[in-house]
Amino acid sequence: MLLGLLLIQAGPSGQTPNLAPLSPRNANYDIEVTLDPAARTLTGSEVIEWRNIGTMAAYSIRVHLYWNAFRNTNSSWLKQRKLVGDDAFGEAEASDFGYSEIATIAVINGDGSVRADLKPALRYISPDDQNTDDRSLASAALPTAVQPGESLRLRITWTGKFPKNFDRTGVIGNYFFVSQWFPKLGVFEAGGWTAHQFFANSEFYSDFGRYDVRMTVPSGWTVGATGREQSRADAGNGRTRHRYVQDDVHDFAWTTSPDFIEHTQRFEHTGLPPVAMRLLLQPEHAGQADRHFAGTAAALRYYGEWFGAYPYGHLTIVDPAFQSDSGGMEYPTLFTGGTRWLSPRGSNDPEYVVLHEAGHQFWYGMVANNETERGWLDEGLNEYADSRVQAEALQPNYLVQRFFGDLIPWQFRDLPLKRATDTNWMNSYRRLGDRDALSTPTFQLWPATHQAQSYHKTALMLHTLERKHTWEVMQKVLATFFTRWRFKHPQPDDFFAVVEEVTGLPHAWFFDQVYRSSNTFDYAIERFDSEALSSRGLTESPAGLAFSEQTTRGSYRTTVVVRRLDAGVFPVDVLVTFSNGEQVREAWDGRARWQAFTFDRPVKAVSAQVDPERVLLLDTNYTNNSRVMEPATDAAATKWSLRWMVWLQDLMMTYAFFV
Amino acid sequence: MTRLRQDSGEAGPLQAFVDGLMRVKRAPWLVIGLWLSTLVLALPLSLTMHGLIGDHLGSSMAARSAVDGMNYDWWNEFLAQSSGVGQTFVPAILGFAAIVQNLSGVADAAGPPSPVLWVVAAQMLVATFLIGGVLDRLARDRAIGAGAFFSACGVSVFRFLRLSVVSVAVYALLFVTVHNWLFGNLYLRLLEDLTVERTAFFYRLGLYALFGAMVLFANLVFDYAKVRAVVEDRRSMVGALAAGWRFVRRNLGAVVGLYALNSVAFMGVLFLYYLTAPGAAANALAFAIGQVFIVLRVIIRLQFAASQTALFQGRLAHAGYVARPLAKWPDSPAAEAIGPAYKNG
Repeated sequence: MLLGLLLIQAGPSGQTPNLAPLSPRNANYDIEVTLDPAARTLTGSEVIEWRNIGTMAAYSIRVHLYWNAFRNTNSSWLKQRKLVGDDAFGEAEASDFGYSEIATIAVINGDGSVRADLKPALRYISPDDQNTDDRSLASAALPTAVQPGESLRLRITWTGKFPKNFDRTGVIGNYFFVSQWFPKLGVFEAGGWTAHQFFANSEFYSDFGRYDVRMTVPSGWTVGATGREQSRADAGNGRTRHRYVQDDVHDFAWTTSPDFIEHTQRFEHTGLPPVAMRLLLQPEHAGQADRHFAGTAAALRYYGEWFGAYPYGHLTIVDPAFQSDSGGMEYPTLFTGGTRWLSPRGSNDPEYVVLHEAGHQFWYGMVANNETERGWLDEGLNEYADSRVQAEALQPNYLVQRFFGDLIPWQFRDLPLKRATDTNWMNSYRRLGDRDALSTPTFQLWPATHQAQSYHKTALMLHTLERKHTWEVMQKVLATFFTRWRFKHPQPDDFFAVVEEVTGLPHAWFFDQVYRSSNTFDYAIERFDSEALSSRGLTESPAGLAFSEQTTRGSYRTTVVVRRLDAGVFPVDVLVTFSNGEQVREAWDGRARWQAFTFDRPVKAVSAQVDPERVLLLDTNYTNNSRVMEPATDAAATKWSLRWMVWLQDLMMTYAFFV
Repeated sequence: MTRLRQDSGEAGPLQAFVDGLMRVKRAPWLVIGLWLSTLVLALPLSLTMHGLIGDHLGSSMAARSAVDGMNYDWWNEFLAQSSGVGQTFVPAILGFAAIVQNLSGVADAAGPPSPVLWVVAAQMLVATFLIGGVLDRLARDRAIGAGAFFSACGVSVFRFLRLSVVSVAVYALLFVTVHNWLFGNLYLRLLEDLTVERTAFFYRLGLYALFGAMVLFANLVFDYAKVRAVVEDRRSMVGALAAGWRFVRRNLGAVVGLYALNSVAFMGVLFLYYLTAPGAAANALAFAIGQVFIVLRVIIRLQFAASQTALFQGRLAHAGYVARPLAKWPDSPAAEAIGPAYKNG
């Protein structure tokens, strides 16, 4: 064939450079898969070479079959979604449902011959919710245990049917986004297998390894995938076989469509390794290529400088098709963005989502903690870091709201979004911060509060630590955590230990509240007055007790009562400003429910503030943190109620049209 | 002064448009009165909003930043902790976004936010009461005095309430049934398997145009029914509706042309406000510009009524013709009682 074997993007030899392993590489996947776009199915065969790097023998295996979450409405995934009123498949047609069905599964020898057929022993399990209808996790007993240090070779053939594009994976039109698509092993750890069913809040957890994947798709269709393309060959019947390989990753996702417009750009920055950025853009977003590259480059640069370099040398950005619900998701060396046809410059859409997902390459991609149980440890860290990058590199960032069926954007140039409160999503935390504790396993969080907890509360908690200890300290915390734990699946306690090590201070008091409890924080100035110093009553005199009344001229007593309104405890400062410009700062441990401070001065006080620098970003109600003697309340209320009145009058005139 | 006369040939839409403008110009009290009605009706809830904002700000430092501009974090905090009418104090009340939000609410059949629904309903009732007098005044095109104005309002109000039974039913059909079918059914079916947002945008734009045409056509018929009811002193609203429909059908080009001219004028007012709408920092100036805009909206609303009346009179009646005689109040018995004394005195 003329097409023959094309060598692409992989250096002179056409192979991935044989670099020293970055990870244990104990779960290696060799996969052959064919896409049937008309039937919307995948037919695949894989050989998994798994090495037991634990300290105990494995007597069974656990296999994730994620697409069975969309098999029927009895799956744990869809049932959990329905808890919050989201019945996405309630009226779905038969063709909208998806599945992953194992045809054969066997332990094989080095030469490929079958050692043991596991199919008869394969059964679906539901350890998390005992939902016997759920088919997202399977188990099979092994004929012989795999001892520590030993390896197991499995061959699995399966068929996958794409669900209607819904939450990360699926198909719409001729856009296919293929994630969590192959039977995949859980993680074997000290306590045995860590493998959960697939829930609505679940993300993923897997071991690192080498992925060598051959995908056969219609010729002429663009393919984007984890890793680098090694070869492209004619597969007959108008199809082309694309081979992608990547070492030291824990997942493999890919996409294909005939519509993508491909752009490339090279990221280069002093002190950091170059990265070939490949952007697969929807045609209607042709004018936004620079914005996608800007967001990606910002992540590579700032995360690289602050935490550690991105080592893979290439990164694919996929702009998802409209209505695909596959946007804003991270996979190793590939991620999906998400933008709109009308997306005004000066607002970080798509930059924010691109930056966030590119940032995941560092946390989800390399640190790779267990997202299913501790999603906050990568989502929250990433949210905190991307918010800082936005403040550094992607300004201005104005509020945008959409009208007319959510299609027309309106940019509010009066409302620039700020890092501390807006891009840390304070408003979400304020409404939902107390609905769960962050230590709750992520897949068990109330579905509607997962983001408020894992993303927003964590970002605010880390930003609070930054304000307490400085950015330099927090940068060192994250850099230490990143470099020490990348490719090692850390736990929350590993992160807390790094915080204590770097700061040199115990932090259990803090994490007990923000991680292990659902407490929220609210400090307030309850009373603030400043009046002439006086006293009256009975005092001792030579004649005995006598009534006296004294007013000390030119001396004023200022009283400030500070109150802790919520359960959360945090040390705060109290700042009182006097009319002569003098400022007095008092430290309060914040433990008692209230504390009174008095100051005798020759002048009156003008203002009092608790936590004046707003160190405690987790304080849900900051308006009550200050009081002034001469407030501008009436002027503010008048101004804004009159502005609101114009809106109301316009609304009345709009409906007067019908009279 | 442009005055349409039947003997000068049929009135065209441009003539009617200009004549309408002149009639509105000659009726400044209508403009002032209608503007004041919006002000008075909006005032109680605005005072409530004033209290809500003031209570939330308390004597905090956030009040100062809210005077100087807008503290968006405070705004979000307020929204998170308020309910009822407080929930309508959203960023979209700022500047021209307010207009976009309100028009979007109509186009998407969202209806007014429930906490202010009663004010909008009250305003529509007031408008239903006033529209008879407004049309009478504009049709006569001369000062008629408050007594005659309110007499015309009183004569028409029950007629228009009867007409509103039909108009509410028609608008309900359009905004509930038809809108739901177009946007909740057809649009979603058009979107099935669609991967291009731009296409969705144009689908929706097309459906807005179709829906808008239906609403505007209904609005035209009801407008001319009201004009005919007042000018021809019709008591039967079914008859007025049929007459309005006949007029629209027989003069479709002129009627639609006039509507287009008035719509362009409305767009011009919107554009003017878009250019001048103040930002978050403005205080008194923002309110003043906002009120000028509301006055212009009132003028446009009157312009629709005046020009449609002028067109009708120019085509089927004549300028200034109103079948019903101008109301003249009889002298009260008290006047008669003091009459002789006056004469003798």
